[in-house]
Amino acid sequence: MNAPIRNENLQLLNGNHAVAWGVRLASPDVAPLYPITPQTPILEKLIDFKSADLLGTEILTPESEHSAMAAAVAASATGARVFSATSSQGLLLMHELLHYAAGSRLPIVLFNVNRTPAAPWGFWPDQIDSLSQRDTGWVQLYSETPQESLDTVIQAFRIAEASELPVMVNHDAFYVSHAVEPVSVPDQGAVELYLPKVDRSMWLDTDIGRAIGAPIGQDGWNRTRREMDAAMQTIVGLTKDAGKAWGEMSGRPYAPLELYRCDDAEVVFVTMGSMAGTAREAVDRLRESGVAAGLVKVRLFRPMPMADLHAALADIPCALVLDRNYSPGVGGVLHQELMAGFYGAENAPRIFGFLTGVGGTNVPVEMLEKLAVDYRQAKQNNNPIWVE
Amino acid sequence: MKDIEYNEAGQFCSGHNACAGCAEALSMRVILNAVGKNTVGVVVPSCVAIIVGAHPRSSAKIPFIHGLLESAAAMASGVKRGLVSQGKDDTTVLCLAGDGGTYDIGLQALSSAAERNEDILYVCFDNEGYMNTGGQTSSSTPLAASTGSSPLGKTTRKKNLVEILAAHRIPYIATASPSHLSDLSEKVTKAKAIRGMKVIIVVIPCLPGWGIADDAAVKVSRLAVESGVFPLIEVEDGLRYSINSADKTKPIDEYLDLQKRYRHISDSERVELQQDVDDSWDRLVARTKM
Amino acid sequence: MNSQPSTLWTHLSSETNHTGTWRSALPLYQNQPSPCHGACPVGGSIATWIKQVKDGDHYEAWLTLVDNNPFPAIAGRICHHPCETACNRAEHDETVGICSLERFVGDLALREGWSFPSPDVELSQSVAVIGGGPAGLSAAYQLRRQGLQVTLFEAREALGGLMRYGIPSYRLSPDILDGEVARITAMGIDLRLNAEVMDEKALTALHKDFDAVFLATGASLPKELPGLDYSQSFVLDSAAFLADEPEAQSSQTGEHILVIGGGSAALDVARTARRLGRKVTVLTLESEGHLPAQQVELDEASEEGIEFITGAMMQSAVGKDGSVTVHATKVDFQIGNAPGGFTAAPVAGSEFTIEVNTIIPAIGQDADLARWNGILNTSGPVINISGAHGKTSQPGIFAGGDVASMSRFVTQAIGMGKEAALGIVATLVDDADVVAPSQEPEVLLDRINTAYHVNHGRNTQGLAEVASRLETFDEVQQPLAPAQAQSEAERCFSCGTCTLCDNCFYYCPDVAIIKLEDGYEIKTDYCKGCGLCVAECPTGSIHMQEDIAS
Repeated sequence: MNAPIRNENLQLLNGNHAVAWGVRLASPDVAPLYPITPQTPILEKLIDFKSADLLGTEILTPESEHSAMAAAVAASATGARVFSATSSQGLLLMHELLHYAAGSRLPIVLFNVNRTPAAPWGFWPDQIDSLSQRDTGWVQLYSETPQESLDTVIQAFRIAEASELPVMVNHDAFYVSHAVEPVSVPDQGAVELYLPKVDRSMWLDTDIGRAIGAPIGQDGWNRTRREMDAAMQTIVGLTKDAGKAWGEMSGRPYAPLELYRCDDAEVVFVTMGSMAGTAREAVDRLRESGVAAGLVKVRLFRPMPMADLHAALADIPCALVLDRNYSPGVGGVLHQELMAGFYGAENAPRIFGFLTGVGGTNVPVEMLEKLAVDYRQAKQNNNPIWVE
Repeated sequence: MKDIEYNEAGQFCSGHNACAGCAEALSMRVILNAVGKNTVGVVVPSCVAIIVGAHPRSSAKIPFIHGLLESAAAMASGVKRGLVSQGKDDTTVLCLAGDGGTYDIGLQALSSAAERNEDILYVCFDNEGYMNTGGQTSSSTPLAASTGSSPLGKTTRKKNLVEILAAHRIPYIATASPSHLSDLSEKVTKAKAIRGMKVIIVVIPCLPGWGIADDAAVKVSRLAVESGVFPLIEVEDGLRYSINSADKTKPIDEYLDLQKRYRHISDSERVELQQDVDDSWDRLVARTKM
Repeated sequence: MNSQPSTLWTHLSSETNHTGTWRSALPLYQNQPSPCHGACPVGGSIATWIKQVKDGDHYEAWLTLVDNNPFPAIAGRICHHPCETACNRAEHDETVGICSLERFVGDLALREGWSFPSPDVELSQSVAVIGGGPAGLSAAYQLRRQGLQVTLFEAREALGGLMRYGIPSYRLSPDILDGEVARITAMGIDLRLNAEVMDEKALTALHKDFDAVFLATGASLPKELPGLDYSQSFVLDSAAFLADEPEAQSSQTGEHILVIGGGSAALDVARTARRLGRKVTVLTLESEGHLPAQQVELDEASEEGIEFITGAMMQSAVGKDGSVTVHATKVDFQIGNAPGGFTAAPVAGSEFTIEVNTIIPAIGQDADLARWNGILNTSGPVINISGAHGKTSQPGIFAGGDVASMSRFVTQAIGMGKEAALGIVATLVDDADVVAPSQEPEVLLDRINTAYHVNHGRNTQGLAEVASRLETFDEVQQPLAPAQAQSEAERCFSCGTCTLCDNCFYYCPDVAIIKLEDGYEIKTDYCKGCGLCVAECPTGSIHMQEDIAS
């Protein structure tokens, strides 16, 4: 459908600048932004583009992330395409608005750079900031690389606008946000074809004085959640369509899950974000050493593509979930999601949950190799396991 | 006889859920008609959100977004930018909030929007407390007034929002009263024509919150103006103050005596309150001469 | 797309919510009488005609005025204006100058030559009106308006009665009187001048010839002061003095005149005498502050150099060589409990004398009732009448004015003439359209929202300079200028009379009032019954009535 990109432009970009490029190509109408380490380069790059007249977006820089998301919500309600970016404390400050945006069915795209929340203060890669927003009604996607971040932020608009649900795309602080790699930047015209402007079903229309968000009775509120549920049911399919179409255009297809060397695997790592890169390396080394290892990279965390996970792990006896996050009193969030998703399933793999790299600690390839070796035949253990 | 008149174009509808005799609904009527059809509204939790209406109804002919309490000015900014980004530069953005949402929880966002000089018209319905939650103290509650959270009377003064906003040097700040509807209408019309941030603070005597009769809101607000408790003023560019009501002509007694929230005050407190009003008036007059 | 029902977006107007069910009371628009109307001897629609003046509809205002009184120019000059005493505005700043406004309209009508319309129908019923003073003329006018045939009998050679023969021209110019009387006679009245109805026989004859008779012969017999010999040449009858031409007045009076009495007639005598160049002293039984004359008359008299001795009583007068020694004493004047009652006991040791040349007692006049003996019942000094319409004991004979009342006010007589005419019409004409007076309570100050009435002192009429006043008999009080009249009309609260100011419309928080061409309508589906419209009504012409049915 979409014309292939003729002149892909290869640039050395860090993850945040790659995001800014993706945003520039998606041409949102409005972008409220507030600086926070390590998100700030996204803001700065967008303002650079704007200052150089390369971006038509209305950028506003209010006094807080709370107001940034409030402005995003309001701008989106006018029918505008809206982008914002944040990290950690900023995302947590937005929390109230995240519920609001989803409840209002506003297709905002938010880029979050995963960072440890205080206290104590820290600036390190950890996904608990966004994972703790999983109940707000936002679609969540996790990116492993600068290229994927650029590609995903554009796909996110397509998913959001098709479902009228907000989409949050995440990548890890520094490991992705500040890591530089050659990034293929697609052609503007091709992206416009991929992401046409679409009219929303409803907006703040002066011709028809309708109000959004007005107080509602119990039945009405209940109905809004049923409608959100129905919308969430479409997300896996929309994500697949978006990833497939992107692939046809760019040669880089995406799916809710990325499976790496899972065929005939006896043990697979299941993880999200930059950890996937380390796990991929470990898989290769394990395969070389005769262990049939594989990797399931979860790109779409909300809604969890559970049917795809069931299919991916159908013949795999052992899954090692690597969580760079810690939900106190529970363990790793992805681990819990998988445990819940496979509860009662026939031929479910044994699932182990490892708290790896919480707070941004280094996770060497060897550590993962050892986990695979140690656990591929271990007995099921539901408890989270801290990895030194 | 003094005439009142304002444009009535049917922009505010009957059947809303304000209390009988509510001056906020009355002010809404004036404001919505003055601001006109090509307007998008933002309203945050407060009585005014109730007046705009619960789903599936709206009392306004313009669209509204029911925003978050602390986000009134931020959401209004977002609406404006959203409209501008789509070429609708001429659409007015009207933001309606209470004093809790303005003086307290919304002050940060308000200050930010003011500092950015966002092109919005922000109206604060100032009923001097959290009246929609049953009547608790806000930073707009005046000295000595009793509320559910200051039953013995508030021990500190009302925050001076006009001066705070003036310090931001926004193009237009005004105060208004439901007793002076023509003035209110003219101020809205004037503000609408100004580019940048405009704030109008409307005094709203709350019938249950202030403890006044169903038919007395206009009378009480008129006394607030005439006693100098709530002078009608304009401030342009944060510098040029002008008083647009007649001089302070009455002592505060009649104003106080019509309200239950001042029923407990002693004679000496009454004298102090009068002194405070007199001093504030003198300072205001001095500002108009600067 | 953007118009479908939605869970998130509102799609109905609040108008689908009928808040009228909340209410327990509903505003009712109802014009109610103003205090001035209640006090007005002719029952004038004062709030209405002042509103018409305010709106610049002067002709309409005049039509409203003459519904009740064919003499606005006269009443505007000499009425004792109880309307102004009753005016709600007194507590706000000063009463509205109703008389001066009435004069303004009355004078304008004379200048413009506005005339009364002919009656819609000519009826055959005939009425004899006996007496061409204010009561008789008022009755004749009202009867003609209804189409009845009127024959007016006047004992003197000209119409006007007391207005012509008792009120000096510096208070009421003869041109004004002539103009307003001519307008009545132009309606087609069979005039019989110099035709005194002498006795009960003559009255009986008229009673037979006419379908009804209205008797308004006034009060022509002077009350006599005990201790004064009226046969003395230095004693003059006040009524005769006032009725005379200045030359005659001059030739009968000495240099210093003592006028006895504290009412309007006494002051008229005194001020007339001053204009003849005389020194004038007024002796009154009433103490200061209790004189029956209007304050404005007293003020003007003092300005004109008239001396007052109040709270005093003449005991005897002894004439010698053109001068008179008057022996008098101070009295302890006390207001009694009954209306008009008082006591005045001489104060021992306070006797004094004054030397004057002429004494003119002016302590009032009585009606000549002896003439009607045997045909009409009397009650003390007046003919007995019952009800508002002046019915006497003899069916078909009605009475009004000073012959039937002790109030002695011109406008009271005009009002009685009007009421008797209405009574006659009701008696003689089947399905006559006689409007009963409103039984609604008067609108008092508590129902007026004075916030809409800017404080503004009364626009007062100018007065001629004192020096020039004493040289002529020209009118003392000068008319309001048009701008003053406009300003004065705007001071009227219009108590109980809707002025279509739209306050109710604009102040309704529920947008529940609809403006109509000539009023307002409540949208009962939405009115919550808050009463703001009533509270903010500047005229008190709305009130809340219980409404629990909804």
